[in-house]
Amino acid sequence: MATQIPKELETQAESGQAVERRTVVQGIGAAVAATALPKFGVMTRSTALAAESGPVKIGFIEDYSGNLSVYGLQKLHAAQLAIKEINEGKTLKGGPVGAGGLGAEANFAGKPPTIGIQGTGLPVVNDGGPKDHKDVVFAEDEDVLIDSGDKGILGREVQLIAPDGQSNNALWQQLARRLIQQDKVDVLVAGFASAEREAIRPIVDRAKQLYFYTNQYEGGVADANTFCTGPVCEQQVIPGVSYMVEKFGPRGYTIAADYNFGQLTAAWTRAFAPLVGGEIIGEEFIPLSVSEFSTVIARIQQAKPDWVMTLLVGQNQHNYYPQAAAAGLRLPMVSTVNMAQGYEHRRFKPPSLAGMHNAIQYQMEVPTNRNRAFVKRWMAMFPNDQYIGEMAQNTYFTIHLYAKAVRLAGTTDQQQVKKALESGWTIEAPEGAVFLEPGTHHCAHYIRLAVCDENHNVSFPRSWPMIQAWWLQRLGVNLIRHPEYKQYVPDEDPYFAMFLKNKSKKT
Amino acid sequence: MDTLGLLASILYQFGTNAAFLLLAAIGLVVILGMMNIINLAHGELMMMGAYIATIVTHRGIPFPLAVLLAFLLVAMFGAALERVIIRRFYGHELGALVVTWGISLIMGQGTLLFFGPFMPSIGIPGGSFSLGAYSFATYWIVLIGVSAILIAALWWIYQNTRFGLMARATMQKAAMAEALGVNTDRVYMLTFALGSGLAGACGALLAPTVSISPLMGQQFVAPAFITVVVGGAANVLLGAIGSSLLLSAVKTPVGLLFGAFIGTVALLLTALIIIRLMPNGVSFYLQRFTERRVGA
Repeated sequence: MATQIPKELETQAESGQAVERRTVVQGIGAAVAATALPKFGVMTRSTALAAESGPVKIGFIEDYSGNLSVYGLQKLHAAQLAIKEINEGKTLKGGPVGAGGLGAEANFAGKPPTIGIQGTGLPVVNDGGPKDHKDVVFAEDEDVLIDSGDKGILGREVQLIAPDGQSNNALWQQLARRLIQQDKVDVLVAGFASAEREAIRPIVDRAKQLYFYTNQYEGGVADANTFCTGPVCEQQVIPGVSYMVEKFGPRGYTIAADYNFGQLTAAWTRAFAPLVGGEIIGEEFIPLSVSEFSTVIARIQQAKPDWVMTLLVGQNQHNYYPQAAAAGLRLPMVSTVNMAQGYEHRRFKPPSLAGMHNAIQYQMEVPTNRNRAFVKRWMAMFPNDQYIGEMAQNTYFTIHLYAKAVRLAGTTDQQQVKKALESGWTIEAPEGAVFLEPGTHHCAHYIRLAVCDENHNVSFPRSWPMIQAWWLQRLGVNLIRHPEYKQYVPDEDPYFAMFLKNKSKKT
Repeated sequence: MDTLGLLASILYQFGTNAAFLLLAAIGLVVILGMMNIINLAHGELMMMGAYIATIVTHRGIPFPLAVLLAFLLVAMFGAALERVIIRRFYGHELGALVVTWGISLIMGQGTLLFFGPFMPSIGIPGGSFSLGAYSFATYWIVLIGVSAILIAALWWIYQNTRFGLMARATMQKAAMAEALGVNTDRVYMLTFALGSGLAGACGALLAPTVSISPLMGQQFVAPAFITVVVGGAANVLLGAIGSSLLLSAVKTPVGLLFGAFIGTVALLLTALIIIRLMPNGVSFYLQRFTERRVGA
């Protein structure tokens, strides 16, 4: 493949000149980084590796234009923020220490406690009234960003090479080849839609390229070169559906984007609803190009479900929400993607998203100090941004995680960094602690149930402080002992068929 | 009661599907149907109308006025576009195709640069009402009416005004019209402006129901071209009405029974069959049918 690249382009790329013609985004403060002196032991080791010089190149592909740009631009800004922080000598707390500790569960009062009762003048502390929900109490960090003692990574400036995938799978393949073969990136962070990931994964595997996929997705990717840092079905579908069944009733109706993500997430929903006493009474798959939903709305009205699982992707499909609201369809909704990623509750007039539930891993409203500090840092750098979604946060902590792993490995050599990543990392992300499980290359996440009300305010009535991505473990995947390069689908697990037969049995 | 609701629901969807096709196509009916310019920037003209309507509505201007403003501004933009670029490509169909595609790219990406990936949309005006288990959006009922009014107005302009007469003459035989004293240059400009303005107005009308983003226009391009091409060139207005009703009549029941995806497949299949069996479009047969009746 490399022989097909024109000679002059190749040499230009190696000398770093060709980058001018591309979308190269450098973090601010990069110039300072180049002159910084190494302070850590791990870094003196790296200075011995004379071959590793020049900037650390992070290859990054997302969609900054087209149907999926609503997500891509957030992710680009996340990468820019992380790289700026790394170049300024900052890192997120955490290290190869395992899953870390959790807080204690307690009842929460509806209002904060107040001192003194009006009119009495007595110095009494009341308890804030009736306890209206349960949650987890933990010592809250003010912020999780600390000094790394390293400007850049191992004293080298970090550079972002971020071409636009334009929501076009064929272009994604070209760009992935270019980043790997011409730019020779040290790490590839890329992919929104599962179709995009599956389009570039064979290229990644041929080159044994270290690759991070930061999206929420349907799960099942067992690939020795790929690290999946977003949440998957077992972490979101089961908590979300169990809450819906408990609160609104057993009958669900799924509408999903018609590609691998929508199909497989719908399969999870169908298979696992009976486990929590629910049942999927209807399903419809909608092409990404569809933007007119009157037929879909009428079919839902005909089926009369208790709630609707919406797995809608892209700008065209988001039109479902205002159209359904205008047509008077006011059923409770649950999703694994909507609201947390495409911020439909900010883009559409209330009450289009009223009654939306999503067992999210992150969205901008997460009510913790560390997240507020993160949002503040982000908005200082990008004051015009409208929202920070789930995968933007994933991209942010993933790039910090990569920097930490390189520091542990003492080299950007990709095989060494992969080994370093397989050391049981916990990283303190804005969402909470994230644990990268070494054997499956997937992360355990802090999951919160986000609920959108009539006025599009978001609250979090329930949390699950650490849900494992357990399905690949169930299938016996261990990429360290048995490297493989495939995506498992629910059909390969006989238990899915068993669950389906188990209709509406309460567990 | 529920049978009544179901009937109303079917009728409502038939209407909304047809109105959507008609609104998506109406600007293209003028530009492709009459001027034979394959205008690939059609979607972006609709996007421009939607942006104008959304921006001014957010500033507190009433929505109907915003639609009117979208019509005027996009028509002016269309006139300027015709003067500067399009008029150099009359008679070069492929050249016009490429140049309008270029314009669409510049408009789409330019909007992305200036306005960012999103703009909060305006809420759908009007409420909803229900019959049995089914509920309906008032706004779509209004849109069905508006699309009928628009097409009737266009018809009236082309049949009953001096401009309409000159336009029809120019489109039929430009040289002869010019010899008879018609300023064909001006007719071309006005026709393109009218088509652009209509695209802008329809974009504005559909704006509350869609998400406002730089590439939103793309979703209208395929339905617009299918409607106009199936309608055929013999009588573009009659064709657009015929084809939107026909395509909706296929899409609605199939969609209801088998889902939106199969509904869209059925629509495309019907378009394919019609273009294969009636290469002159629906309007050719509709016109022949009406002429025969008048003759008899």
